[in-house]
Amino acid sequence: MSTRYICRVCHNEIAHPGAECPYCKSRSLIAEGASPWIISIVFAVMIVGFGLTAIYTGNFRADREGRGQYHFARAKNLLDEELPDRAINHYRDALLHSREDSAYRLGLAEALFKTARYAETRTHLLELLLEDPTSGIVNYHLAQLAEREGSLDEAATYYRTSVHGRWEDSEDASADEIRRRIRFRLADVLEESNRAHELTAELVELLKGDPASSQLRHRLASQLLDSGAYNRASEEYRTLIDQDSEDRNALLGRARAEFHLRNYITSRTHYLRANALSSDEETSARIELCNRIIALDPTRRGISLQERFRRSKALIERSLAIVETCRAPEGSAFVGPLPPLPPDLVPVVRGAEAMLAKRSRVAHDETVEENIQIAEEILAHIDPHCERVEPVDESFALIMAKLAQ
Amino acid sequence: MTTLRAFLAKLLAKSRTSPVLEEPQRFLLLSIVIGIFSGLVVVCFHVSIEYLGWYTIHALPPPPDWVFMLWPAVGGLVSYAVIKYWVPTARGTGVNYTKTAVYASDGYVPFRSVLGKFATSTVSIGTGNPMGPEDPALQMGAGIASLLGRIFHLTKDHMRLIAPIGAAAGIGAAFNTPITAVLFVMEEVVAAWSYLVLGSIVLASVSAVVVSRWFLGDEPLYRVPGFEFGDYSELVVYAIIGIAGGCLAALFTKQAIRLRGLVLGLPDWGRLWLPAVAGLAVGVVGLYAPETLGAGYGVVDGALHERFRWEPLLIFAGLKFVTTAFCFSCGTPGGLFAPALFIGAMLGGGVGGLASDLGLSLGGFTGPFVLVGIGTFFAGLFRAPMTSVFMVFELSASYQVILPVMIANTFAILVSKRLQHESLAELAAHQDGLDLPSIEAQREAPVMKVEDAMRRDRDLVVQKDLTVSQAVQKFDSVGSRTLLVEIRYGQWALLDEREARLAEETEGKGDQSIHEALRIRSVIKTHPDIPLDQALRNLGRYPLMPVASRVNSSFMVGTLQLEDVHRAYGINAEAGPELLKGEPPL
Repeated sequence: MSTRYICRVCHNEIAHPGAECPYCKSRSLIAEGASPWIISIVFAVMIVGFGLTAIYTGNFRADREGRGQYHFARAKNLLDEELPDRAINHYRDALLHSREDSAYRLGLAEALFKTARYAETRTHLLELLLEDPTSGIVNYHLAQLAEREGSLDEAATYYRTSVHGRWEDSEDASADEIRRRIRFRLADVLEESNRAHELTAELVELLKGDPASSQLRHRLASQLLDSGAYNRASEEYRTLIDQDSEDRNALLGRARAEFHLRNYITSRTHYLRANALSSDEETSARIELCNRIIALDPTRRGISLQERFRRSKALIERSLAIVETCRAPEGSAFVGPLPPLPPDLVPVVRGAEAMLAKRSRVAHDETVEENIQIAEEILAHIDPHCERVEPVDESFALIMAKLAQ
Repeated sequence: MTTLRAFLAKLLAKSRTSPVLEEPQRFLLLSIVIGIFSGLVVVCFHVSIEYLGWYTIHALPPPPDWVFMLWPAVGGLVSYAVIKYWVPTARGTGVNYTKTAVYASDGYVPFRSVLGKFATSTVSIGTGNPMGPEDPALQMGAGIASLLGRIFHLTKDHMRLIAPIGAAAGIGAAFNTPITAVLFVMEEVVAAWSYLVLGSIVLASVSAVVVSRWFLGDEPLYRVPGFEFGDYSELVVYAIIGIAGGCLAALFTKQAIRLRGLVLGLPDWGRLWLPAVAGLAVGVVGLYAPETLGAGYGVVDGALHERFRWEPLLIFAGLKFVTTAFCFSCGTPGGLFAPALFIGAMLGGGVGGLASDLGLSLGGFTGPFVLVGIGTFFAGLFRAPMTSVFMVFELSASYQVILPVMIANTFAILVSKRLQHESLAELAAHQDGLDLPSIEAQREAPVMKVEDAMRRDRDLVVQKDLTVSQAVQKFDSVGSRTLLVEIRYGQWALLDEREARLAEETEGKGDQSIHEALRIRSVIKTHPDIPLDQALRNLGRYPLMPVASRVNSSFMVGTLQLEDVHRAYGINAEAGPELLKGEPPL
């Protein structure tokens, strides 16, 4: 490699050592490029520079961390003293010193949430979520935010992620306990947004945890009842009654669950037990309704065949009465010819009337079944034509529904 | 043993004088070294500013109001006094300083200016003056590069290129965005660049950013939440933000330069106190709106996180506009990079929030508008479109942001340029008595092409079977000293007049065809889209060139000779250049 020489004054190239620079007429020259000595010195300075900068920035980082922690501690104290506005300023200062610290950002988000600054809360929480999508606490706060803003579906999603997210044991509660509490919150949200199937699933999950407290079990059983899981609700109430036979709420709950399951006798038994402990109008009314239903039931065990036959005939009569009500909604006040029966209902009604007219009919199981079928058939044909779909008598409707089942 | 000793002696002697690497390799290696040194210095610069802030405006416990209010004034006075009495080379903007090094002082930047800039900008920004550290970092990088270039004995050509490399390193380390740094230097400092320069700038910028991240962490300047830019009807709002940013940038340029002109007209003793007055104004404003103090990164970060509604955002933009213009005009050390981003962000958020309240945009969030607004004022002020777009892209790491940012920044530049033709840096350079080239003007200057000068006829083309006598007659008729001979379709050669006359008159070859009687020279062809100055370089060797079509290179669309170029540039070869209309003769 040939050496090139350049003017020390104007940095132009010179032909050879000793030549005069054609530009500035200087004879002072240097060999182009850096010798290994110069490179070594530069690298040595660089290493020293690295060392000094490391010491300087190390001290700086430690001081910055200290200032961040100071502001964070102040902010937490202020938040405990219910002064979230002042706490926010300190959280912001803490974040300025350590923007990557998720605890500071989470604290700020909590304080902002308390002061109802939801838009800002959301940006901070979403940023935290981006960093750690599995964080239970972040998802929980996002769920609370969504709930506060009325987005129940979004809230349910975040609650669910929070339940399955990462939690650590705290002084107040273990991770499992926190998860259970959130699942309860999720169940409330699901109940509020009428998502019965999902609610049942969550409640079943909660029951797997075998809640020790009767209050908790009451709540679960009640939510199961509200979500339509009557069998599970009845089971839970039975457990509660086993634990305390004079638990009126459990007795009433079991009664309601059994009523929905159309076990009217069991339902009446529990209503009666509850009423014996403390009576009220509503319970008495439910007992009365149960009595009426039971009295109508032709399939009830323990009654004679004659009684079953009588009850089944009564069902036909009541069905025909509904047909009449549909034809003349004004009842006895109606004057004039009745409107004709719908064509598809005519043979059914005529058949039923003929059946009732047969005095010679003998009571046996087949005739009872036949009567029940006729009553069901009439009701099935009435529905499309009758404007008053709701039956007049609730007990009749309930017993027919049970028979149809 | 003797042989070994002789060999070692020879090696030692060679190592003292000879270069160990080829020039391009050495240049690239030096770029990395520059990047590392610049990164180290800028890291220390950042830390020093922060440290000073902890003892002044951000002290714990907070200082009394009157002390708080006085800090910017003290900082302004001290830093200006240091510049005036100890390091006058640390005065001015980093961009202009680096351009001066490139175009006027052969890459020489005194190292004293690096130390001066470090100290004065630390004091100024650390005490709350509304300036940014990026421009001083740029100048420090250029100074470090220049020092290393001198140590490594670079040639003059390379010395001229070394300052922009350092500038890219400085700005990259300061802003933690390597691509933005590269683009800024290429848009603002160097007009013409080669792969060697580009490679060096990239290496320096990247190595500086690596060093910066090593020591300060890889956190970007602003933490940008994940925004959704889904609704295209909001593009109208982004355009409005761009227009607002452009208008404000033009207004800033006009007013700041006017005020600076007034300040420069004051006597020296009066100018000394002006940064203190400006600092006092900053302190008073800071008492009521502390968000306007310092570089304001945290405030922009807060705005991105929906901390403010649109009303305070617009107030902050207005206050920062006034205090920054005042400080810049009065000579308070520091750069305009950070305040420009601050003003743009606040303006974007303010306008976007207002639009949301008026129902012009969906969502009701201000954060996305803050992000888009960041680059608008900057684009209008520095006239660096690519930098402004990539800066936001690099900050947000969001592909979705590109379209809104491009729209807003394009509008900002167009409006700003319409209202104020020259950029702030150019006007400041003129005020300082510097006549630096405008990179923007060079970039946008119309380029004269071959098609603008060429003759479109075939008067200067003859066939190869033409006789020498006919060729001489042709020379007489066209008045040219050379002709193009078409050897075959798509191949031409040059015929010289003197040779033709010689062959006819002295050698008696008048009846012979020219390709038999004369020695014809090959010629290279050019194309209509080639820049004229590039074609001009070949006209010395080939006085007449065929201009071939790009689609069919065998088809001649015209001819080009020196007279055509003269005509295109308005030069009368015999009478000299034509005077411009209306220009009085000397």
